[in-house]
Amino acid sequence: MNNSKQLKMTVYTSLFVAFIAIGAFIAIPVGPVPIVLQNMFVLLAAIILGPVWGLACVAIYLLIGLAGLPVFAGGTSGIGKLFGPTGGYLLGYLPAVFVTAAISKGLGKRMSSDIIAMLIGSLIVYAAGVPWLKVVTSMTYEKAFAVGMAPFLIGDAIKIIAAAFIAKTLRPVIKL
Amino acid sequence: MAYVTPFTYRQGQSLLHLLDVRCKFFMICLISMSMLSAHLSACFFYFLILLFFFNKAGLNIFATLNSIKYFILLLFFIFIARALTVKGDILFSFYGMSITEQGLNEGILVAFRFFLVMLTGLLFSITTKPSSVKSAVQWFFKPIPFVPEKRVAVMISLSLGFMPVILKQAKEISDAQKARCSDLQKNPVKRITRLVLPLLKKTFLSADSLVLAMESRCYNDDRTDPEFLPSGKEIPFLIGSFIISLSLACL
Repeated sequence: MNNSKQLKMTVYTSLFVAFIAIGAFIAIPVGPVPIVLQNMFVLLAAIILGPVWGLACVAIYLLIGLAGLPVFAGGTSGIGKLFGPTGGYLLGYLPAVFVTAAISKGLGKRMSSDIIAMLIGSLIVYAAGVPWLKVVTSMTYEKAFAVGMAPFLIGDAIKIIAAAFIAKTLRPVIKL
Repeated sequence: MAYVTPFTYRQGQSLLHLLDVRCKFFMICLISMSMLSAHLSACFFYFLILLFFFNKAGLNIFATLNSIKYFILLLFFIFIARALTVKGDILFSFYGMSITEQGLNEGILVAFRFFLVMLTGLLFSITTKPSSVKSAVQWFFKPIPFVPEKRVAVMISLSLGFMPVILKQAKEISDAQKARCSDLQKNPVKRITRLVLPLLKKTFLSADSLVLAMESRCYNDDRTDPEFLPSGKEIPFLIGSFIISLSLACL
């Protein structure tokens, strides 16, 4: 990878870090629960940046939050948040972004493969988040699923479809 | 991002503002770790210390609590969940659910710990400049192999710079679409794509010109290291935080 391409990826990755960070603030009101776009940006970072830079993107996002800058949902930050009840979702972004990017790349960056990749990525986020929520708050599994997964499923489906459209339109513009 | 979050840096000359950022990092890690095994009395003692520093930094604790009210609501749910699920001596029960004494105690303790860790982080964000956080991250990553610490630092400062730009453009785009009655659009997929696509396109194009600007100024990773300005009170603060975390862990 030459220097120019690397610089370009550095800037694009930082841009996606910023998008993930403010994704928690951009909400679109649909029905009773507003759709927050943060995890959509994580998935978009995966399918647009690729496995390595996507992973770097999420790692830097978590690092900024861990270092005490207010980038986690609700303007919070710090170790407390990362090890708090919702920390599992944040840490789950790391494997999710890598797997999503790898699948999307392996299946050839088509819209259908993007959707499959993002579905698996979202499942990984929940697979990390829900047991974490259960352990920290000592709920039962049924309760943890009811609180930490079920209300977001419809929103996630909408976001994945939207992200697939966005990725399809954006790829020719960004030209990586 | 001022209108988005009350947790950003505020100018000041208090003890914590002037303290070296690396020292603050170390203290926050130490205290957050020891908080995991703290008892209620130690927590309360630490809460008083926190209140003192909030006061010193010129912050109103009630305004701060108001700005994290959603987090406090979440803590309340954790408290309820603990109170209902921990087995022990039953205090009172209704509709087949029972609240136990042990559950109440444990619920209060866990919620209070999260609350204190949260307040500590808040105090750090409010008294520390983002740019010095960046330099501290670079300093801490230096001895770790395979991590290009300078590039990480550049990416952090770039993304911090992008955030207000993106928020401003998101506001502009959503205003423009509201003026064109986008609120009437019921299809959520369309609503998302019509907000996010122009936003991404716009910001990526401006990122392209940023890449050009950096290239034409011969940007590379070989940059001058950041300078730190210790206030000279780091050693007493470190000793103090060590004593606090010891007493939190052991008391």
